Amino acid sequence: MNTHLQAIKLVLARMLQKKLSTLMISLVIAVALCVPALFYIGVNHLTTFTSQLQSETEMSLFVKLDANNDQINQIKDALAANKAIKSVKFVSKDEAWQALKAKAETQDLDKNPLPDAFFIQANAAEPEALEKLKNDLAKLNNVEKVLLNTEWVKRLSAILALGKQIILLVAGLLAIALLVIISNTVRMQIITQKDEIIVSKLMGATNGFIRMPFLYAGMLYGLIGGLLAALMLTIMVWLFNQSIAQLAELYHSNFNLPIFDGSLFSKIILFAISIGWLGSYLAVTRAIAAIKTN
Amino acid sequence: MIKFDHVTKRYPGSDDILKNVSLSIEAGEFVFVTGHSGAGKSTLLKLIAALERPTHGTVLIANQNISQLKDSALPFMRRRFGLIFQDHKLLYDRNCFENVILPLHINGITGLDAAKRVRAALDKVGLLSKEKAMPITLSGGEQQRLAIARAVVSRPSVLIADEPTGNLDASYATDIMSIFQAFNQVGVTVVMATHDALNRYAMHKRVLHIDHGELKNEQSISS
Repeated sequence: MNTHLQAIKLVLARMLQKKLSTLMISLVIAVALCVPALFYIGVNHLTTFTSQLQSETEMSLFVKLDANNDQINQIKDALAANKAIKSVKFVSKDEAWQALKAKAETQDLDKNPLPDAFFIQANAAEPEALEKLKNDLAKLNNVEKVLLNTEWVKRLSAILALGKQIILLVAGLLAIALLVIISNTVRMQIITQKDEIIVSKLMGATNGFIRMPFLYAGMLYGLIGGLLAALMLTIMVWLFNQSIAQLAELYHSNFNLPIFDGSLFSKIILFAISIGWLGSYLAVTRAIAAIKTN
Repeated sequence: MIKFDHVTKRYPGSDDILKNVSLSIEAGEFVFVTGHSGAGKSTLLKLIAALERPTHGTVLIANQNISQLKDSALPFMRRRFGLIFQDHKLLYDRNCFENVILPLHINGITGLDAAKRVRAALDKVGLLSKEKAMPITLSGGEQQRLAIARAVVSRPSVLIADEPTGNLDASYATDIMSIFQAFNQVGVTVVMATHDALNRYAMHKRVLHIDHGELKNEQSISS
């Protein structure tokens, strides 16, 4: 344990000696972490937003205004028999009229303009299946119109799912870049500490002892970079919320992004520390093998 | 303590540096290794200090066969030895105290106990007042004494010195030799390579003379 403290002290002293280069490498790490994290925050928030929308009615079927009760019942039976349909809610034109009158100013209207309507939940969620069901229902007698309410939501969520995959890809690429950057930085340090490594080897230092300060250096770069990334994300999300607030107000929405996401931030920091550890491990293991004692 | 049995050492692409060397060094001895430069003195020292493994033959250190030791066990074997080099191999980015404490950290000794031992070692070589000085500000003789302090601080049972006085004035060299003598008197085994076989401190000491990789004669130099 003391040996670990000793190594950390040594690394911190060296970092303080080279404040500028420590800051630079940490900034590079922070920016590389920020890019996928920012996308993630946006996509993640839109996903929760759209999944709320999806729980509402999927399809609306409007009956022709002149249809009588028998014809309506025929449609009802046809819907009940359709295996692609999960549930149906019937709202008669009178019910809809009452609801509308309760909600809005309707003095100008002296006659009910609303049709009878069925609100349908389908079993399938795939756009193709819904499209087919919609076409089938539109062919029924006395049906004025079938609307697929959530079509755009489905498309959006498909795009968002694609977005998530792209984020993973970008994050993966940036992780490789980070690995290279960190292991290169540590490699430069190893070159400047070469004498120390040689002398330590001569005195019977184990590879673990030699590796330790470099591993802590890599992990500290990750930690500082991760903390910087969390700070930068907080500022960016705050600025975004400021500018979106006015727009959201126009739509009577309080859409904004969560400013402090502790779970995301701790994941970013842990990820950065792991990358730092791995990068320096690769560099130092290669260097130890390469540096001969004589 | 140290036993060579028909040891041959060859580096990849080289001729035999050491040929069929057999010798044994007992605990508490003071042994000189002599020979012209390139004769194989340094290689012999490296084999003794477990820095290299023999190509043929066996090297036994404290009854352990170096050829059969795992890589991971070698560092622990090396800690039995204090090494001193002609070029000191000091670390110039840290002060005297920090140079000497390094072997203790390698041995897992830290804190007050380590500091005490560092000061004791610096005191033995007469550098206690310079613990905060950077090595580059010391004279050649002082740097070599610092290297000795670093070699003895972890209390090794064997001191191995490769031409420790090679670069020094006669008066400094006398200094250094008397320090080695003092350690030998308290029971530390000393193995020292020197190209100067007539070193006056070699009196009554065993001399291993190496000529073109062969151990020529074991002699005791008397004045």
